Amino acid sequence: MTARQLLSLYPRAWRARYGEEFLETVGNGALGIQQIVDIISSAVDAWLSADVRHATRPANAVAAGGSTMTVRAMICRTKNARYTTKDSLIGAAIMIALAAIFALTGNAAARGGWTVTSEMLKTLSFSIPFSLSMPFWLMKGQPWKAQVAIVGGTTAFLIVIGYVAAVT
Amino acid sequence: MASQDDLLAALGRFSEPALYILISLADGPKHGYAMTQDIEAVAGHKLGPGTLYGAIARLESRKWIEPLPAEDRRRPYRLTAAGQKVLRHRLESLRAVARVGRARLAEAR
Repeated sequence: MTARQLLSLYPRAWRARYGEEFLETVGNGALGIQQIVDIISSAVDAWLSADVRHATRPANAVAAGGSTMTVRAMICRTKNARYTTKDSLIGAAIMIALAAIFALTGNAAARGGWTVTSEMLKTLSFSIPFSLSMPFWLMKGQPWKAQVAIVGGTTAFLIVIGYVAAVT
Repeated sequence: MASQDDLLAALGRFSEPALYILISLADGPKHGYAMTQDIEAVAGHKLGPGTLYGAIARLESRKWIEPLPAEDRRRPYRLTAAGQKVLRHRLESLRAVARVGRARLAEAR
């Protein structure tokens, strides 16, 4: 796993502002486990922290004077397209992977005699993976609180609906 | 009104890395790699790159440090007047705590 790959976990604005110097600081050497954990946990922080969002706002990033072209490209993308082909592919891959997990777990539950759980998992094997994939494409760029509320709320309702459908 | 210590403590898990960065920049501008090397030499603590830039973003958003024009792909940062004030206050506070700690250790002997 390389630093460049891990960098893709960070928000686009963060990459535009700090990406180049971050890669320069990390260097080309192999990453240790501690570094990988540090980079991943800080990527989560970069998505959630208001401070970090403030520091990487396009206006501030341009004012910082670096990666200006990247920042301008980012602003154009934000205005003209809600999400990229890469985002759609990531969303589709997550949906397929989760659907497969639901289907396999449903089959395992059926073999174990857990009929209701099996029915629920099979009923929800498309809708919940779709819901959970939304932050990676359809909802990309929206405030994280809105994403958590909408995806969490939708998933909770789907579970209730799946349970009712399985027991009636 | 929050004290200078509270301001630094409000950075949570980034407060210690942020203090190291402020100390590292106290003798002049440095870029990320130079900061990690300096912090390791001074404090014996190697900051991870994610933690380093998480702390830099927080310090920048509070205007305690500011970026300078990039040199190749490296961007130096420098301490601002506000950052100097916060650092000075924090170091004074740490000195007072250390003085009390040393005095208590001496009494216990």
